[in-house]
Amino acid sequence: MVVQLENNVSCFTGTPAVDTPVLIDAENVNIYYGDNHAVKQVSMPIHEKSITALIGPSGCGKSTFIRTINRMNDLIATARCEGNIDYHGVNILNPKVDVVQLRKEIGMVFQQPNPFPKSISENIQLPLKFTGERNKKKLKEITEKCLRQVGLWDEVKDRLDRSATGLSGGQQQRLCIARALALKPDVILLDEPTSALDPVSSSKIEELLLELKKDYTIVIVTHNMQQAARIADYTAFFYQGELVEFGTTKTLFTRPEKKNTADYISGRFG
Amino acid sequence: MGINKTVTRRSFENKPESSLLKDKGLIKRFTDRNSEGRGKLYIYSSAILMIAAVVSITLFLTLQGLRSFTVDHLNIWDFLTGSEWYPDRAENPSYGAWPFVFGSISVTLLAALITTPVAIGCAIFMTEVAKKWGQRILQPVIEILVGIPSVVYGLIGLSVIVPFMRHHFGGTGLSLLSGSIVVGIMILPTVTSIAADSIRAVPDSLREASYAIGATQWQTIWRVVIPAAGSSLITAIVLGMSRAFGEALAVQMVIGNARHVPHSIFDPAATLTTIITLSMGNSTTGSVLNDALWSLGLILLVISYIFIVIIRFLSGRRNAR
Repeated sequence: MVVQLENNVSCFTGTPAVDTPVLIDAENVNIYYGDNHAVKQVSMPIHEKSITALIGPSGCGKSTFIRTINRMNDLIATARCEGNIDYHGVNILNPKVDVVQLRKEIGMVFQQPNPFPKSISENIQLPLKFTGERNKKKLKEITEKCLRQVGLWDEVKDRLDRSATGLSGGQQQRLCIARALALKPDVILLDEPTSALDPVSSSKIEELLLELKKDYTIVIVTHNMQQAARIADYTAFFYQGELVEFGTTKTLFTRPEKKNTADYISGRFG
Repeated sequence: MGINKTVTRRSFENKPESSLLKDKGLIKRFTDRNSEGRGKLYIYSSAILMIAAVVSITLFLTLQGLRSFTVDHLNIWDFLTGSEWYPDRAENPSYGAWPFVFGSISVTLLAALITTPVAIGCAIFMTEVAKKWGQRILQPVIEILVGIPSVVYGLIGLSVIVPFMRHHFGGTGLSLLSGSIVVGIMILPTVTSIAADSIRAVPDSLREASYAIGATQWQTIWRVVIPAAGSSLITAIVLGMSRAFGEALAVQMVIGNARHVPHSIFDPAATLTTIITLSMGNSTTGSVLNDALWSLGLILLVISYIFIVIIRFLSGRRNAR
């Protein structure tokens, strides 16, 4: 079925997906908050060195799902996960998994920029210090490298010792991405990273993500369909806790199979 | 602008008896059942009463406290630094308050030193480690500790801590350390609950940020949560110290009430509050001793104000951030 797209998604510029191997493979994932069945039977792959976008209306379970990939839901006492999320041959949901190590390999960036109320350099160095890195020269090197990666170095190199809370929202969010990069993770999860930012800062982050996907696997939750269309290689559409449709961004936005998907991306609801 | 004004005026002119116009007489403002005046009167007079109480206490204590220098011609410097307190000596009585100033300050600091690690540990336990049942058990425990009268703390100190000290460190057991321990236990609940509040005030987003970069729970608590709670934790400690500083009864029962500067923490000592409560009843109004005790009270007040200034400064800095 070919759906006539309305103006709001005609700006599709997404790069054609290069078929990279699957890094994370979710199978029949169910997530409950107490009695609330928040994510139902979700199965989807996440391809290496690509951007996978999760879209859908509020409360559709996309944030819940992404937070399960690095077990952030462990922090919520009532949350319970079932199913299988394969990562390097291990089920992430296995209670025996070392979550501290897992989160070092699968980093996360949140909706509200949340830098620590410490200096800019301290923000990047803290994750390294947590792993026991004491070498000051090395810490400085990594700080500079990460800040350069997110394009923040030239803006902050003269005030590395100042508090990170003095940065603008967009700068703070890029600092949080740099912080996630400090441990050289495999995967970076971003939970609506630009929804609290202005358009200019948002587009800077989008450019940054397109740059980062050369080295990292990126999963992004977004409210903004144009954003998914612009940057994602793969897109998954969630609705009421279910994964309605998953495919390459191009297919999903130009030839969606399900009516719900077509309605959502053409702005008929959501 | 001009147009708006004329429009408004015209609408009032059309309805001169409009209920929008408030023009009640001074008396009617208070006698009217639904008047704002009554409420305002009540609220303003409460506030003024409170301020008047503080101002008059300060004024009264200052006037009384300065009498020993203005009327009895004691030397301020000798009074503050002199270490001999012999008001009852027939010839050449001396009024040196230093042992009590020293006693008060050292009891306060030692109590803070004893309490702080325990209080912060408890606060972390009930906010971070065992949120649910930690809260359920510790909250009532704290309330009970707050509610116990200080004389009970003194009695327990006298019958438990003092014999323990006597047995292990010799002497009478009545000592600076015994007093500090008793006061330390007394301020423990205050410091704990304020510290717990300040830890709870740390936004969850910071904890998430920390866990998301692969921090363990301890790393999150020590490197992220505690530093973020920072100055409010210090406020908690300073508040506890100001309470320790003012405590009289329980300290008096266990500190030994010696009128000289102690040589070690195992020696008996006295504080500003204990010497006032002990001597006030034996002094006659207007005597030099009575005036000197008022001066000690004035010192207490000044140091309490310093504590308040520190707390205001810390919380001001927190708000500015």
